[in-house]
Amino acid sequence: MRATMLERIGQWIIVILLVVMCVSIIYPFVYMLAISLNTGADAAKGGVYLWPRSFTWINYEIVLGNQVIRHAYLITIARTIIGTIGGLAITLAAAYGLSYKRLPFRNGILTYILLTMLFSGGLIPFYIQLFKLGLTNTFWVYVIPGLFSAWNMFVMQKFIQGIPEALFESAELDGAGPVRILIQIIVPLSKPMLAALGLFTAVGHWNDWFSGAFYVTSQNLIPVQTFLQQLLTAQDLSAIMSSNQNQEVLARSSMDNITLMSVKMATVMISALPILAIYPFLQKYFAKGVLIGSVKG
Amino acid sequence: MIAKMYKYRWQYLMILPAVVLLFLFNYIPMLGIQIAFKNFSIGTSMWDSSWAGFDNFSFVHEPQFWTVVQNTLYISVLKFVFGFPMPILLALMINEITHPFFKKFVQSVSYLPHFFSWIVVAYILQSFLTLDGGLVNDLIGRAGGEPIFFLGTNEWFRPMIVSSGLWKEVGWNTILYLAAISTIDPQLYEAAKVEGAGKFAQMRHITIPGILPTISIVLILSIPSLITVGMDQIYPMMNSANQEVADVLDTYVLRNGLQQGYFGMATAVGLVSSIISLLLVVSTNTFSKKINGEGLW
Repeated sequence: MRATMLERIGQWIIVILLVVMCVSIIYPFVYMLAISLNTGADAAKGGVYLWPRSFTWINYEIVLGNQVIRHAYLITIARTIIGTIGGLAITLAAAYGLSYKRLPFRNGILTYILLTMLFSGGLIPFYIQLFKLGLTNTFWVYVIPGLFSAWNMFVMQKFIQGIPEALFESAELDGAGPVRILIQIIVPLSKPMLAALGLFTAVGHWNDWFSGAFYVTSQNLIPVQTFLQQLLTAQDLSAIMSSNQNQEVLARSSMDNITLMSVKMATVMISALPILAIYPFLQKYFAKGVLIGSVKG
Repeated sequence: MIAKMYKYRWQYLMILPAVVLLFLFNYIPMLGIQIAFKNFSIGTSMWDSSWAGFDNFSFVHEPQFWTVVQNTLYISVLKFVFGFPMPILLALMINEITHPFFKKFVQSVSYLPHFFSWIVVAYILQSFLTLDGGLVNDLIGRAGGEPIFFLGTNEWFRPMIVSSGLWKEVGWNTILYLAAISTIDPQLYEAAKVEGAGKFAQMRHITIPGILPTISIVLILSIPSLITVGMDQIYPMMNSANQEVADVLDTYVLRNGLQQGYFGMATAVGLVSSIISLLLVVSTNTFSKKINGEGLW
């Protein structure tokens, strides 16, 4: 019976460790939420751990009243939608075209694609190319360079190869061309795979701060994550107060002793909330998605 | 040949956007590597710039460059030492949970941080570690200790990078292992129980051997990334106070190239790291062919 006793202790240790892990992941969001809903000067004294001590909406009112953030949100949403749908379409079309084994030069094209996964010119030549194409400082710099993903294409190809060929053959006999086969057979059958890859692409767009920080200079073009990145190193509140148009909120904020930290927390919560809100509904897709991706092409 | 290619005209049309995108954003930047050997300034054509020989490579004589190389290796080895075994341990622990709801909950929570950007992670660290009202220094103060400026010291930078990296990705990286565990034949466990094997013996003799192939694939796949230490993670947490240990190859290229305009020199540094990572990929592939009988491609 000693073994089972040991096992039981082991079980409890595992449960405790896992609970600690879960708390370490959930707690930061609770903490940031509490700070963001607390008046700034009061939070700076410390001691606000779980819920706000002196409750206020002012931090959120300041953030939501800021023109740059509101605009940044639109930019993020637009690039996520256009980038994800466009990216899936172009990558799937290429994957499907290349699934024809007898296509002349097929191996050459596949090698052409594979080489880009092994070697790159590096950041600077890439930037110079964006500059030469006139993409820097435009919205399209977020979308166009990432439209085709070699990695996703190999995943899709693997998936398409798993679809029984009889389906294509009978469609061809019925007179369907490749475009119709793609739209009427491949797309419906690949929905789970497209959902998973689409989710990863969308998250990548949503979280990208780099392009906004280095490929554009106009504040009218930055996405939310780049705004967050700029605010992270801000020394005072001017970044967030200067482009605020809600005079009433500004007047109240000077009375409420807002601090940079509490406004920062409100901003980061606003960027995190959409992901936290849709997260429970997306679960079933991503675990599947990683597994599709892990099958070697 | 032409007739055959004409037969596949729709397929070529579907592949065309991908080929053009790769040409514009991957192959032209590869040609742009010549900037490393030229006197180039932005606004001129790289083809017209005069040759500079190896002038742009003079950074190898600068001690700062070698500090950067050292930092890169230090951080990537540290991240590997902790980041590689932890997901295996976590997967084994999750596998030991018998309660289905708790198991699902732990998995869902552990994947969550993967969906947030490194910027959000930097905010979480800042909110916890800041000197005015941050939770950690607050607690240290209450315990009678001296507050520590975690974000602005050299010695705390690496622990922060490693722990935040673990926090963000450890759960996500268990997915492959959990999938491998789920393919193990349940009869093996039944047989082991009949033989009187306890939980620990089952883990040692069934579960671990069952995921060994997955472990070796993940190990092989992680070798090429040893030279790149995700700028995404480093850049938001780097500041003038910790730059001495935080500066890695990617941030060095970024600063010298995009921020200070030394395009030739930054391209040269990028070229060196591209070549090293190519060598790592190719040798890993050869190695994997010898061990597993098949390569990565």
